Amino acid sequence: MVNENFIRELEKIVGKSNVSVTNTGIELYSYDASLVKGNPGVVVFPANTQEVSQLVKAANKEGIDIVPRGFGTNLSGGTISITHGLVICLSRFNKILGIHPESRYAVVQPGVTNLEVQQALAKVGAFYAPDPASQKVATLGGNAGENSGGPLCLKYGVTSNHILGMEIVMADGEILRIGGPALDPPGFDLRGLMVGSEGAMAITTELTLRTLPKTQSVITMLAVYDDIQAAALSVSKIISAGILPNTLEMMDALVIEAVEASISCGYPLDAAAVLIIEVEGMIVGLKEQAEQIKEICMTNQCRDIKIAKNQEERNLLWKGRKGAFGAIARLAPNYLVNDATVPRTSLPKALEQIKIIAQKYECRVGNVFHAGDGNMHPLLLFDSRNEGELEQVHKAGWDIMKACVDLGGTISGEHGIGREKQEAMKMIFSGDDLNTQQTVKFAFDPENILNPNKVIPLSKSPGRPLESFEPTILKRLGGASCKGVVQAMAAIKNAKDAGKSVIVVGADTFSHYGNICKQDVTPVSTLSMTDIIEYDSDNQFITLGAGMSLHGLQEILGKNNQWLPLRPPFFGNKASMGSLVAMGISGPERMFYGAPRDFLLGLQYIDSQGRIISTGGKVVKNVAGYDMTRLLTGSNGSLGIITEATWRLLTRPELCKALSMTGNLDDCFGAVLELMNANLFPAFVTAVPVNNIPEDNGTDQFPKLWKMVVGFEGMANVVEHQVEQCSLLLGKHKLKELETWDYPLIDGCFKDIFNKIAMAPYTLKLATATGKMLDLINVINSIDGIKAQARMSDWLLDFGCGRIFSALDSLDKDQWASLTHGAISLDGHVHLEKAPDDFRREQDVFGGVLRPEWAMMHKIKKALDPHSLFAPGRMPGKKEYEV
Amino acid sequence: MNIFEDYDAISQCNKCGFCQEACPVFRSTGHESGVARGRLALMRGIIEDRVQWTKELEDPLFNCLGCGACTASCLADVPTADLVIKGRAEYLEKVGRKPIHKLLFEQLLPYPKRLHMAARAAAFGKNSGMSKVAKALGLLRILGRDFAKAENIVEKLPPVPFRGLVKPGEYPGTGDTLRIGYFIGCGVDVIQQEAGQESLKILKKIGKTVTVLDNCCCGLPAWTYGDIDAAQKLALKNLEAFSSQSFDVIVTDCSSCASFLKKYPKVFQGDEKNQDLAQAQTPLFQDMVEFIFKNGYSTPTGKSPIVVTFHDPCHAVRGQGISRENREILKNIQGVEFREMPEADWCCGGAGSYALTHYDLSMKVLDRKMKNVESTEADFLVTSCPACMIQLSHGIRRAGLNTKVCHISEIVTGAKPKG
Ligand SMILES: Cc1cc2nc3c(=O)[nH]c(=O)nc-3n(C[C@H](O)[C@H](O)[C@H](O)COP(=O)(O)OP(=O)(O)OC[C@H]3O[C@@H](n4cnc5c(N)ncnc54)[C@H](O)[C@@H]3O)c2cc1C
Ligand code: SF4
Ligand code: SF4
Repeated sequence: MVNENFIRELEKIVGKSNVSVTNTGIELYSYDASLVKGNPGVVVFPANTQEVSQLVKAANKEGIDIVPRGFGTNLSGGTISITHGLVICLSRFNKILGIHPESRYAVVQPGVTNLEVQQALAKVGAFYAPDPASQKVATLGGNAGENSGGPLCLKYGVTSNHILGMEIVMADGEILRIGGPALDPPGFDLRGLMVGSEGAMAITTELTLRTLPKTQSVITMLAVYDDIQAAALSVSKIISAGILPNTLEMMDALVIEAVEASISCGYPLDAAAVLIIEVEGMIVGLKEQAEQIKEICMTNQCRDIKIAKNQEERNLLWKGRKGAFGAIARLAPNYLVNDATVPRTSLPKALEQIKIIAQKYECRVGNVFHAGDGNMHPLLLFDSRNEGELEQVHKAGWDIMKACVDLGGTISGEHGIGREKQEAMKMIFSGDDLNTQQTVKFAFDPENILNPNKVIPLSKSPGRPLESFEPTILKRLGGASCKGVVQAMAAIKNAKDAGKSVIVVGADTFSHYGNICKQDVTPVSTLSMTDIIEYDSDNQFITLGAGMSLHGLQEILGKNNQWLPLRPPFFGNKASMGSLVAMGISGPERMFYGAPRDFLLGLQYIDSQGRIISTGGKVVKNVAGYDMTRLLTGSNGSLGIITEATWRLLTRPELCKALSMTGNLDDCFGAVLELMNANLFPAFVTAVPVNNIPEDNGTDQFPKLWKMVVGFEGMANVVEHQVEQCSLLLGKHKLKELETWDYPLIDGCFKDIFNKIAMAPYTLKLATATGKMLDLINVINSIDGIKAQARMSDWLLDFGCGRIFSALDSLDKDQWASLTHGAISLDGHVHLEKAPDDFRREQDVFGGVLRPEWAMMHKIKKALDPHSLFAPGRMPGKKEYEV
Repeated sequence: MNIFEDYDAISQCNKCGFCQEACPVFRSTGHESGVARGRLALMRGIIEDRVQWTKELEDPLFNCLGCGACTASCLADVPTADLVIKGRAEYLEKVGRKPIHKLLFEQLLPYPKRLHMAARAAAFGKNSGMSKVAKALGLLRILGRDFAKAENIVEKLPPVPFRGLVKPGEYPGTGDTLRIGYFIGCGVDVIQQEAGQESLKILKKIGKTVTVLDNCCCGLPAWTYGDIDAAQKLALKNLEAFSSQSFDVIVTDCSSCASFLKKYPKVFQGDEKNQDLAQAQTPLFQDMVEFIFKNGYSTPTGKSPIVVTFHDPCHAVRGQGISRENREILKNIQGVEFREMPEADWCCGGAGSYALTHYDLSMKVLDRKMKNVESTEADFLVTSCPACMIQLSHGIRRAGLNTKVCHISEIVTGAKPKG
């Protein structure tokens, strides 16, 4: 309990006027936008990270629980203190710290609202993709806490896909930086885990966001339907036709009526449903896309489709959608909004179910939702002053979640679990799954003081793990019944019994990867895990065994003109999907498509206790529970053996075309900086040296002439247009000798270069922000003995992702430390994808300097794999943290 | 007065938090006590017996600017500014009323001459500490917080009230038909007389006759403070004065007065007789901006070109829904370049007793406004409310800008720029 002394302590830290303890002060923080209530003991408003850290330490000393809070607009009770603890409100963290459109990132404090960020970015022609309907009043800290989504997420993905790094205050008050502008730092994806952790793992005090250049033009359409099922069908038909609109929003009759009554924006009152469909991109090709959409709608019983003629008409259409919640809110004092998600093709069934459930509980329901990604938002109307009604809507909400999960969906697509949906977690996860998630939370917060007793269902005996049970509704396919899984479980058990560690070998492509440890390791093969467990081409996902090769997968997908848009470097034809998950690697196309972390929807793996644990699901929007999928992705097999994975898929692009032009490095760099925030959307932006060995021998071997290689993928006419525009842009920067060529879809442009680089004894990967690439090159060139290596001609400058791939013949301890220091000084990091055994035994391939966040990774490792059963040596900081 | 009567309206808030974006107080404090959601939660808490009537409620109830911005972005359309006033009224009953309010609302505001004299006396006596009268006057927006101690105030405070210069009564105009009543707000009467002169010029040009009314304070200060009794008395005094003559239109160049005059029927809720009286006159009231827009006014030309920007008084943009007319007027004047400023419709922070009781907060809101003004590099910051003019001028001084504050009438007649 909060006592006088504690309050004095808080006042010392933040000042008396930033502490609220009065009766009214408490009442004012007893609610958020959900239906959960609870009085905090005290509320504080810190001004900076140091104060947050001191507050956390003070709370620790007194054993008082902490709830972080942004603007309190979450819909799941995430900011309610249920133990009368300390609420830390971050509303004073309201500054935008930096905007870097040329490197596509921005740094903000967590109390800045989403809209404020958008407005600041718009000034430099950029934007931040996640756009929750509440963006005017939702803070970035809250967005990250809940992993928020919005209409645009159909095309661009949710918050998690757009957070690059964070500064956090841990449960013991330690301040830690995780990630940053440089992509994919070595080790676990901690910021991936933090996003969606609902304030239960750490307190965010700064965020690095990924930004994108604003697209050129947009077409907004209103499709009118007499039958809601037909509208739902059109949605899945559009997507399965391979079109990716940036939004696909649906409203039903009750909502239309309410909207028209309050705003009047031209939705026909007699319609059963309307869709707002928006496509955006280059002017070229956009009209064709709109036409195609129109055709699909019309063949699916659309009554009429209207295209907004100008900005005013467009605004009006959106005004209706954005005001929809509000319009409904006028019909009754309260609403419960549910956000269960289903695979898109199940939308018609889900809507039918919702209708039946609403009738059963006699509550009015309006549907306005993100149809494109199957994210339902039934609004159940009621008056909270009437207890009976509250109970009825809760029951209805529960049944809706059940129905959606039964259709293969999940309980929450973007609003989070918090307090409201805690029990419903049992519908989709087993007892073991949930206990594992809780273990991760406790690794961050051993005393359980951060937003305690939320997200994971409470066990009957407090403080004990949940009993074992299967998910009550969701039927997960695959698991132990798949080929090769039982064998792997047995192998793990044997190794464990013999006191050995295991390391997965897929196709044995990566045996040079990671550090070498003293432990005795037994190889476990996943190669026989080749089952295709579920391939739903309409909903664009596939679940398959870890032993399948990427190459094999692409072949299967090709039959439906689909693919997994990843071209991992150093990846042989046989390399397995399991290793792709484990390593999480990506090629230069990452800037356009993303990395494995952006395509994985769910996983199953064998954990250190030999159990099969499931994470995620198979729908694209899923914020139920802590993000174990991202934790496992890129963990290099050190947390368990992945047996199967569910991937999001895309339709194949019509054309992949590259262009190259030549010039000196400064000119290339100038072109890159402009290209990164231009109205062009390259799949990759790279440069390779032109002449292999410079004339003078030994003194200055750094290549002088560079060939910039830029690729575009998508609809043929759009690609052609972009190639042309891009060549003009490069020409402006004095680059010459234009060449263009089509390249193969699956292998891409860089297979040969990567293979060549991989032949050297050392394969080096360095990363920083794009805008600091030249500085990074200077760092490399300033280190004695590195510059003079002949292999340095094997370079791939991956400008688009801010990365350098290179080959070295030798590398000593000091050079390695200098390289690491240099990269860190540029907010970056280093990594040896390959190194000789000696080096791997003596040094750390993940970096020559210890980083503070590695300690946290080892805490997680220890919690999930206490006896270091899995992949010893494949974690950064082996010597310091591993025994 | 009992907020229980408004239980339905208060419960309509579903706590979505959307008002947080709009509320200038919340944007400055980041604290729930300063936003509609919080104020409503507390009132609901009182009704549902979780919160008691104590002094703790003073801040949440009285630091509301009454600007109405929350309602404009409220999904459920909850009229928070009005509900807060009811809350204040009950607060005054339950927790207590301060004597200085009685002094102001009951002794000064009903009598314009007394108000002016008191202001002069207080201004001259500024060095002898804050007298009770000075404190009471400081509550008035038209004088501004720094009134009782500010430098220059004596020079600025004209020796006689506006109606000392232009006696109440009928004046002939050059128009053909319109019989106009000119309602003199306290701000014009006591301080902003130059604006008043220009407004009068416009009215005379358009009307057949212009009657300078012998009205008293419109009642808004008492109303916003929650002293509904006092507000009713003032309103009634005015209504009776208007109905003794016959006008086609009653114009005022104070947007706050205009908005409150239009609201008179609401002031008499539950009092049918007076409500009818108010209802009958409501159609007559016009804001000066509406009047100029409807009737047109051609400005003398030949002046050097100027850049202007416009500050929307809360009582114009949300109180009366006027936001297009003022801009159209300015854009159509030759030699005037209009530049929109960011957040033009954000409150200037001077509302009601606000600037006095919540000085720091008021200055935070004001400083944000000045940043926006500065970004336009305008020569003139134009508005249509004398009370906003005082607060804005204070802001300009604080920020050390070269921009000058003036009333829209002064631009329309060409009085500004001078020469
Ligand atoms: C009308 C309405 C519409 C909405 N529409 C959408 C929508 O379209 N899409 C969507 O995804 N959501 C939507 N939401 C939900 C809500 O707005 C989002 O969840 C939003 O991201 C919450 O932001 P906030 O600042 O209010 O966070 P809060 O509610 O204050 O906090 C949310 C969670 O994050 C944690 N948290 C907050 N700040 C920090 C921090 N600095 N460090 C660590 N943890 C922190 C909290 O503990 C809590 O668990 C809507 C809500 C409403 C009321
Ligand atoms: S009236 Fe203005 S100050 Fe008052 S709560 Fe609404 S927005 Fe805030
Ligand atoms: S916007 Fe309206 S409904 Fe939403 S919290 Fe504010 S007052 Fe309540």
